Amino acid sequence: MTFTARLGGAALFVAAVVAAAALVHFVVVLLVPIVATHDAYARLAELAPPGATAPLPRAGPDERRFSWDDPALAGAFCRYNLSAGPLRVKASVGRAGFASLSFHTRRGAVFYALTDRAATHGRMEAVIVTPAQLRNLVAHDDEDDPSQDLRVVSPTVEGFVVMRAFSELPSLYGAAADEVKAMTCATEPPTP
Amino acid sequence: MVVKAVAAGAIGLALGVAASGSILADPPFGATTIGAWRVAAKAGSLEADPYTRAALARSGEIPLALGEGLKLVARVDSAGRPLDRRCLYRVGAHTPAARYWTLSLTDADGYPVENAAGRYGFRSSEILRDGDGGFSVYVSALAHAGNWLPVGHVQNFALALRLYDTPLAASAGGIEKSSLPTIDREGCA
Repeated sequence: MTFTARLGGAALFVAAVVAAAALVHFVVVLLVPIVATHDAYARLAELAPPGATAPLPRAGPDERRFSWDDPALAGAFCRYNLSAGPLRVKASVGRAGFASLSFHTRRGAVFYALTDRAATHGRMEAVIVTPAQLRNLVAHDDEDDPSQDLRVVSPTVEGFVVMRAFSELPSLYGAAADEVKAMTCATEPPTP
Repeated sequence: MVVKAVAAGAIGLALGVAASGSILADPPFGATTIGAWRVAAKAGSLEADPYTRAALARSGEIPLALGEGLKLVARVDSAGRPLDRRCLYRVGAHTPAARYWTLSLTDADGYPVENAAGRYGFRSSEILRDGDGGFSVYVSALAHAGNWLPVGHVQNFALALRLYDTPLAASAGGIEKSSLPTIDREGCA
């Protein structure tokens, strides 16, 4: 075997390794969100059953479930499943400080959010629906007296809602926690 | 020939899996670097790239929506040197416009670090300010006068700046470097 032939063989081997590694890498990146067993939704599932509002654990050195959570914010969540009907989310806001609702897909991505600036009479309210439920609701809307509901289409049947409230001072964290705990998530009766 | 092909496949598999693990710990795309800070404005949105989505699924983070605010993370100082627990840093003096902001210290994975003072961060509504409305936060392992953010006992740490209800959300790429706090290394032990 000549020196050139050996060099060519080695180059071919390295190229094959690089191609295999790249292929594996891309497959892994695309598969991780689908097969991840410990994503945010799974971690929330350990804390409360679907439909129930439960507080998010306060960020701290001993709480290693939800990374990058801000210790200045209190949070609460509910998981939902729209197969039984749309979900009505209600929250009251009345403190000094920022508060928000965010609606997440089963994979954790946010598809809608509103802050206390959008609150009317101290309330934030929205109805999460599937595309089919939205069509059904619109078909049953009274044309002379249309619904005032804020309807938000969820890209996934399952998902979760998070309410967060900012505490202006450490001593006000309890009040923020009380505010988020009062969020309700209720399945609406299906439209006839 | 067959042996070589199988060997190439096996080595490629191992390399591919190993590289994926390290790349997803700090996804390379979807984030903008502005001075010492990195911001991934679309990280929590439906438009996030596959790398950011995969990283999110693994970390268990519940992302902020654009309309809620922005999270910026610094793992280096303003000169680009990795944050070092043996050094004292001064972070200040202004932030971009936001209704509230917080500046907190975390370990490399984004969790607060145990410290005797029980201080994990500062809120814009509680911080001590200079006469001109600016602020200085001192980040160090050793206690410091003023707004002291303790490093605790971790080797690697990060600083997180969160801007709540900020008009910047719509154009995170357009954040002016001069509007962000600088992270100046004041000295090292």
